[in-house]
Amino acid sequence: MTETAQQETVEEIDLTAANRVIDKYIDMHGSLMPVLQGIQEAYGYIPEETVHLTAERLNVYASQIYGVLTFYAQFHLQPRGKYIVRVCMGTACHVKGAGRIAETLKDRLGIEHAETTEDVKFTAEYVACIGACGMAPVIMVNDATYGSLTVQKMDDVIKKYQAMD
Amino acid sequence: MVNLTIDGKEVKVSKTATIYEAAKEAGIYIPVLCYAKKLLPYGACRVCLVEVEQMKGRLIPSCTTPVTAGMVVTTMSDEIRKVRKTVLEFLLVNHVVDCPVCDKAGECDLQDLSYEYEVVTNRFAGEKFDLPKDEINPLIERNMNRCVLCGKCVRVCDEVVGYGSYSFINRGFETKIATAFDRGLNCEFCGQCVSLCPVGAILPRPFKFKARPWQLKEVNSVCGYCGNGCTVTFGTKDNEVQTIRFNDKTGVNDGNLCIRGRFGATYVNSDQRLTSPLIRKDGELVEASWEEALEKVTEGLRSAGSSAGIISGARLTNEELFLLKNLAKAVGTGNLDHSGGECYKGVTEGLHETLGLQASTATFPQVEKANAILAIRNDFYETHPVFGMVVNQAVKRNNAHLTVIGDKQGKLTRMPHARNLQHKPGLEVNILNAMCRFLLDEKLAKTDGLQGVEELQEALADYAVDAVTAAAGVSADAIKQSAKELVSAENAAILLAYGLPYTAYSRELGLAAANLALLTGIAGRSGSGLYLCGEKSNSQGAIDQQILPAAGALGVSGMLKSASEGKLKALYVTGEDMLVSYPDKGLVEKALDKTPFVVVQDLFLSETASKADVVLPAASFAEKSGTFTNAERRIQRLHPGIKSPGQAKTDFAIFQALLTGFGAAVPATEAAAFMALAATTPGYEMVGLEMIGDQGYVWGGETLVPEIRNLVAVTGGKALEAKYQLVVGSALYHSGTTSVHAKGPMSVVSEPYIEFGREDAAELKIVDGQQVKLKAAGGEISAKAKVDRRLPKGVLFAPYHFGSLKLNRIYNGQASIAVEISK
Ligand code: SF4
Ligand code: SF4
Ligand code: SF4
Ligand code: FES
Ligand code: FES
Repeated sequence: MTETAQQETVEEIDLTAANRVIDKYIDMHGSLMPVLQGIQEAYGYIPEETVHLTAERLNVYASQIYGVLTFYAQFHLQPRGKYIVRVCMGTACHVKGAGRIAETLKDRLGIEHAETTEDVKFTAEYVACIGACGMAPVIMVNDATYGSLTVQKMDDVIKKYQAMD
Repeated sequence: MVNLTIDGKEVKVSKTATIYEAAKEAGIYIPVLCYAKKLLPYGACRVCLVEVEQMKGRLIPSCTTPVTAGMVVTTMSDEIRKVRKTVLEFLLVNHVVDCPVCDKAGECDLQDLSYEYEVVTNRFAGEKFDLPKDEINPLIERNMNRCVLCGKCVRVCDEVVGYGSYSFINRGFETKIATAFDRGLNCEFCGQCVSLCPVGAILPRPFKFKARPWQLKEVNSVCGYCGNGCTVTFGTKDNEVQTIRFNDKTGVNDGNLCIRGRFGATYVNSDQRLTSPLIRKDGELVEASWEEALEKVTEGLRSAGSSAGIISGARLTNEELFLLKNLAKAVGTGNLDHSGGECYKGVTEGLHETLGLQASTATFPQVEKANAILAIRNDFYETHPVFGMVVNQAVKRNNAHLTVIGDKQGKLTRMPHARNLQHKPGLEVNILNAMCRFLLDEKLAKTDGLQGVEELQEALADYAVDAVTAAAGVSADAIKQSAKELVSAENAAILLAYGLPYTAYSRELGLAAANLALLTGIAGRSGSGLYLCGEKSNSQGAIDQQILPAAGALGVSGMLKSASEGKLKALYVTGEDMLVSYPDKGLVEKALDKTPFVVVQDLFLSETASKADVVLPAASFAEKSGTFTNAERRIQRLHPGIKSPGQAKTDFAIFQALLTGFGAAVPATEAAAFMALAATTPGYEMVGLEMIGDQGYVWGGETLVPEIRNLVAVTGGKALEAKYQLVVGSALYHSGTTSVHAKGPMSVVSEPYIEFGREDAAELKIVDGQQVKLKAAGGEISAKAKVDRRLPKGVLFAPYHFGSLKLNRIYNGQASIAVEISK
């Protein structure tokens, strides 16, 4: 066989949930987006196997699905942490030391932008202004906002989430 | 028709034309990058912008804008020139400047346009792309730094090929063309994307640094592989075929080719080719002169007389086959045939009994307009890939209903809305019978003028849809729906491929397909057709030339059996490696061993040739003139691109010499032979060589009307009760045993494999690439496992092209083989 044929890595994942999502939308016109969203909801990201499954069952090329997944920022092709730490890199936050905040995150958890800790607990995301410039520097952990951060305060936030499940 | 004015010229075109097409027809040049004749309009690159008086104020893309009556178009002005130049400047912001090493130089649209528009400086500066090249596969190099995002590769792989390798990924400045998960290319390797890319972003690797485009001599000929009969254009240099180039001006394939056609022709340059006759002396094959070799052959055949057997390959030209037939007469034997086992019986006997014909009733282009298509055997597109592309276009462009009857899945079953009648191996006939029975029961069948309606209905008593459903493992609804679609479609097609890996019940399958074609009214109706597609480039020609046993004489299986019992005195084999490709290797071995005088005429010292007493070196398809008749009855002309190596001779020249030895009449040239064969071959009577133009000549016309309409009942198969069964077939990347000498196909599939479905593989804990053994009656075979998604549980597959697998130790022509698996 070709070398290329072996490039595919087969992840061992349970496809039941993906199949259920596809079952739900299969007869709908334009079902690709809701299917992908449903899969992401079920798995937290879009595992490669589910792309092949979707391709097969919806009769769409895997390449096309990949095109869609890379076009929309809402989709993630890698597992994402339980806690998404969004570090604001907007102008105000930048001036007030967002760099140090990001450094602290990297120091404590070993993750930079778009990276996830091995235990899949945290994902870091550097984002543009999140609209809370008055409290710069700012981070968000999932839906909670933490402002006027110092390195010390940042540490506390991290510790708080580390202690949670 | 619509009248308009382009650059002051009055133009009259069809109302479906675009401005670009109208201009082109009128001989007015408009540059294009993303436009391609065979793709749907796209309008992405903007170099084809023109001015339209009625749409003042903006420039209009000519490639997507339909003409309207009275339109006044200007194709060049200062403004247009400026805009086109800007478009090019933008493209060159990101585009690397590596023209000096780009293989496309000399035929690159971007290079030509930059020259034409004098893009010498760039007002925009930006970072050049620096994307990694895809050089993982051996055939196609992708360098996206040169890409102009015209989308032609994406579109051709979807619209024409139906594989869908590529997509646009990311967005904005990051946009690029990539495969799923941005991996290296791993596809059909048909090279359609190579042929359409207007720049050097997708290139054929085997031809890198072989020649500049202007150094190549172009010769149009016909592909030597399958019965599709695609036109190929050799680019030759230094007496070698260097490239197969894009050509949509001749032939029926619209410039489309498969991996074999595009990357598989270079076996003709192989240094393994036979260059001199060989004669067995003291047990060894040693080089000899043609004189000596031909004398020996003449003597051997003469003394064998009526107990000589002649077996021919189906890649000889019509002219060569004609001489071969005459040679059989001169020798005095009727034992003449052209393939192993029973693989041609579907056409030669089945169709003869039902339709009085032995060929497809319609032509390939008609299928593009079909509303309903039934493909028997999913791997039909693997034996005839370019015809498979026609099916794809019918489905995608025309919303044709496609039904596939097959024991595995594949590209056809994955086409939009394809109905997949995936059945237990060996039960194709049962399903066809069920369709016939359903049409008769429901009074949907078009029975006017058909013979044997009642007899058929009675004989099909056991083939009620529900009974067949249960036995074959397909849904009743699917059978009924498909039958209904076929009978009610305005244009419908039934497709069936035949050839060496499909020897089981081929006569029955031919009959069952013909019955259905009659009951649905498909056979002989204009726009519709029954297509029987021979495996090799001249399978149809061989049937037309009656390379078949004379009355009372032996066909291949008879000859082999007789020979194995020591009853044949001589065997003459041309262009077939029987030991590898015929069912029942043991029988072939015995036949060769027991026959006192064996001649093999071939390009390579094949396994069969190495057993011969005399080996004659033959010429390849790229080295000869003559004609092939493809699976739609299209007679096409071959033109030699290169000279044969050493002393190799065309089969034509060899037969000429032998006929002379027998004192028989010999046509002096291929042209003379064509005249003689046309006069005596039904359907060819009125055909002259000069009538065979760029599109070939279809004998019998676009629609062949059946001479009789006779329904003939056939019995179906029985599912094999075995936990694991092996089915034998063709692999897309190969054709017969010839392609295993070709670097292109070999670089993709270089060795035999045994394919497992995922479920079986998981259960047996077999992983891709692992060595596995299959035990069956007749012996044991071993190969690497290939795990894929197309096989159902309990069914295994192996391609028949590789001698090293010794598949025919366990394959004797049965529909499927019970096997035991071990590691
Ligand atoms: S080689 Fe053929 S199948 Fe492969 S990407 Fe190109 S067009 Fe598609
Ligand atoms: S790779 Fe070639 S064909 Fe494909 S989009 Fe780029 S320039 Fe066009
Ligand atoms: S092998 Fe057949 S389909 Fe492929 S290029 Fe040749 S004639 Fe065409
Ligand atoms: S810049 Fe950080 S919230 Fe506005
Ligand atoms: S050729 Fe018309 S937009 Fe590209």
